Amino acid sequence: MSEHEDPKPSPGNSGDGWRVLSYLIGGVVLYGGIGFGLDRLLGTQFLLPVGIVLGAGLTVLLLHFRYGSRS
Amino acid sequence: MIAGVPTEFTPPGPESFDLPPIIDGVSWFTKPVLVSALSVVVIIWFFWGASRKSAIVPSKLQFAGELGYNFVRNSIARDAIGSAEHMKYVPYLCGLFFFILLNNVAATIPLIQFPTFSHIGWAYVAAIMSWVIYNTVGIRKHGAWGYFKHQTMPAGVPVWLMPLMIPIEFISNIVVRPISLSLRLFANMFAGHILLGVFVLGGEYLVFETGNIALAGVGIVTWLMGLAIAGLELFVQVIQTYIFVVLTAQYIGSAISEEH
Repeated sequence: MSEHEDPKPSPGNSGDGWRVLSYLIGGVVLYGGIGFGLDRLLGTQFLLPVGIVLGAGLTVLLLHFRYGSRS
Repeated sequence: MIAGVPTEFTPPGPESFDLPPIIDGVSWFTKPVLVSALSVVVIIWFFWGASRKSAIVPSKLQFAGELGYNFVRNSIARDAIGSAEHMKYVPYLCGLFFFILLNNVAATIPLIQFPTFSHIGWAYVAAIMSWVIYNTVGIRKHGAWGYFKHQTMPAGVPVWLMPLMIPIEFISNIVVRPISLSLRLFANMFAGHILLGVFVLGGEYLVFETGNIALAGVGIVTWLMGLAIAGLELFVQVIQTYIFVVLTAQYIGSAISEEH
């Protein structure tokens, strides 16, 4: 992305790992939670793991878009 | 079974953190309250003393004060927020840094040896303060709706993925951040204190209670290990302080940034 240039020379990288962690937790908790809720609602068993994996995958994709283009 | 082992060893647990009030009848006045109050006094004394007689050729105290202040201002605030706007947040970040630092290192200082932030309420309040600040400055800068969009619309994501990504951004930036900020600090302090307790009390039990010379030898080794753990804990205490303040600065920086 051309307009996505960080104005700072990204020096505060020491915290980036921790920020990534909160994304991973957020994604897994959110979609895992949705899966859990749907399982309870529909009486199924498989949506919780599907949600967890989907959440983790989507978060990794998000991190790719967010941090990947920064070089 | 070894003969002469009289009683069971009870390791320290969460109940080790329930300290009695220092003065009978004043239930809120416990060790963490005393230590944090003392830390505030020490910080005020330190920075007041360091800045009172500012000189071109600094005294040792002034030099130490400037070293600490410059570290927070340059290495944390300016790097994370940017040189244009960082000065506004240096007082908070500097105060936060030294408050957490002293209260963490209190776990290592002899006779005090209790980390204030091993009581989770303290960590919650510190994290909530940072949360309120970064959200407030973000809303001031972008307006409520603009800030909400700013925090939840990731740049560079294809439009068709947006509906899936926006909830992740929201949960991560608004909900998980303060929780992880407080839990990280709390859990490190709590675990470190318990770990030290296991080594020191376990060694004491082996040396004095078992009445067995071989086990007493093991107890001595346990104490030496405890000493090494104490050194590791000192490192963890400083690192956790740094992480907490760096993350606060980065959250502020990303809240007021023009674009992600």
